[in-house]
Amino acid sequence: MLDRPFKEKPNFEHLRAVLMRERTDGPVPLLELAADPEIMAEVTGIPFAADRARATIFSTVGSIASLDSLDADTAALAVALMELSLAYSRTVGLDYVTVIPLVPLVRTRAQLADTGLGRERALRSWQDEHRGLITNRDDFSAYRWPSLDQISLLPVDYTATKMPDGMKVMLMYMGIFEDLRQLMGFETLAYATADDPGLVDDVLEGLTQVAEYTVGLAAAHPATGAIFYADDMGFSSGPFLSPRFMRTHVMPRLKRIADACHAHGKPFILHSCGNVLPLMEDFIDMVGIDAKHSFEDKILPVEEWYARYRNRIAIVGGLDMDLLGRGSEAEVRARTRQILQACAPGGGYCMGTGNTAANYIKIDNYYAMIDETRTWNAEHGY
Amino acid sequence: MADLQKLHDAILSGDAKTAAAAAQEALGQKVPPIELVQHAMVPAMDEVGRRFECQDYFVPELLLSARAMKAALELLRPLLAASGAQPAGTVVIGTVQGDLHDIGKNLVAALLEGGGFEVIDLGADVAPEKFVETVQRTRANIVCLSALLTVTMLSMRTTIEGLKAAGLRDRVKVLVGGAPVTRQFADEIGADGYGENASVAVSLARTLTAPAAIG
Repeated sequence: MLDRPFKEKPNFEHLRAVLMRERTDGPVPLLELAADPEIMAEVTGIPFAADRARATIFSTVGSIASLDSLDADTAALAVALMELSLAYSRTVGLDYVTVIPLVPLVRTRAQLADTGLGRERALRSWQDEHRGLITNRDDFSAYRWPSLDQISLLPVDYTATKMPDGMKVMLMYMGIFEDLRQLMGFETLAYATADDPGLVDDVLEGLTQVAEYTVGLAAAHPATGAIFYADDMGFSSGPFLSPRFMRTHVMPRLKRIADACHAHGKPFILHSCGNVLPLMEDFIDMVGIDAKHSFEDKILPVEEWYARYRNRIAIVGGLDMDLLGRGSEAEVRARTRQILQACAPGGGYCMGTGNTAANYIKIDNYYAMIDETRTWNAEHGY
Repeated sequence: MADLQKLHDAILSGDAKTAAAAAQEALGQKVPPIELVQHAMVPAMDEVGRRFECQDYFVPELLLSARAMKAALELLRPLLAASGAQPAGTVVIGTVQGDLHDIGKNLVAALLEGGGFEVIDLGADVAPEKFVETVQRTRANIVCLSALLTVTMLSMRTTIEGLKAAGLRDRVKVLVGGAPVTRQFADEIGADGYGENASVAVSLARTLTAPAAIG
């Protein structure tokens, strides 16, 4: 149980300054890409049928052609999720609240499977990795891209009216490479990089236009504090596609999206899972990311990332998901302190999980991470 | 003499059409199918694996080579069966229960097949009982288990325990791999090997099925 919030009052300005490496003093902030509804429900004590919500969302996503076609149940669920998210940010004592824009992009229907091991019920959604909606030129011609006027920041507007002073919206956007894999299916995409690279380029360009517009619109919103751009690009052993392919086809487009954010003076945080070390120079120099998130001890412990890149970008999170899922509370506290000792004194670091506050981590371990960070801050006068 | 180099290079460059044509041409010249496998296809896939490990090749190149290898293998398969040629081993492979991720598993399956193994792919979200039942009714001597999540990898332990309970553990070697899996975890659950990537899995399978390794 979280006996009291991480901090009494939100202070997004401090979080922003840490992300932009403008200061080395002040408390180490907490920052997550997302928290699963089960975690938010447990933290807040607000009952929420997370499995039903996930099933509803994933039976709907993929068939929505426009926001007008959202049924009342799904709309009510979306509002309930926003309220839960707000309550979670308040209860934990975060400087931000995570919000997802409404982008009616038709995606491949995801599958659900019950991991059944981490918690009583732990459904997770899984992407079809074989065939997507666009497998050839005919599919591409038939695909219904959303018009830009269908994109809505209604969730930002809604949340903005309910945030406490000092809190800002952390706008989460699902990235173009991730959507490319969803739309084409990973195997189809892999073959197309050799068989029809022009098709890959065309799908990427469609996604980039949507992303560039949405991120620009969101970054311009006065309630938005930063953009958290989620785009997984690697396995544990290396990038999915060659750095050469990424440099030619993906990075210039990522730069357009980051520029749309930076045009409004907001930080651009990249979440990218896997061993993306071979892509880091391009992320930093070509794209211009301000911060990097998603780390696994198995690939490279977060302290090593921090040591390598601390002078160029901020580092976010990094408490290993395996430890949070299977370790003891004492082990989590020890590892949290170890990371803080390495990364906190130099600034440009936010504590958090290595990926997300996922439904399969132990809630007491999550609380231990928060409490140990709070203790660290108190010991340093914050 | 047939041009085995052409088949080798076609697989290496992921050119399925040329690979099939080169295999057909060699068969037309009466080259024994097993010779095509041993002297062109397996070395080509070994080189693909080597390039993947040193990050000269990435997943698309690996998939393209596997596709080219399969195009040639389709032509050889009936001839190999008729000649009584034995595979390097028989592998039962699958992503464990609760986990639907299978790109990595598919890559391992493709490389094992390219390495001369017979592969029985059970797909994703496979219950321990299904692994046990498949090992029971086949001549499998290797079981490969894959997982993406830190919680689903726990099914690997259950599967190994299932094999033990069915009295099959001494008959098969168990290899594990996937994003959250480590050598330490593999040791903890009593696996025989841990492959940090698809290429390593093939080397391990070869080592573990070498006569001295089979108990």
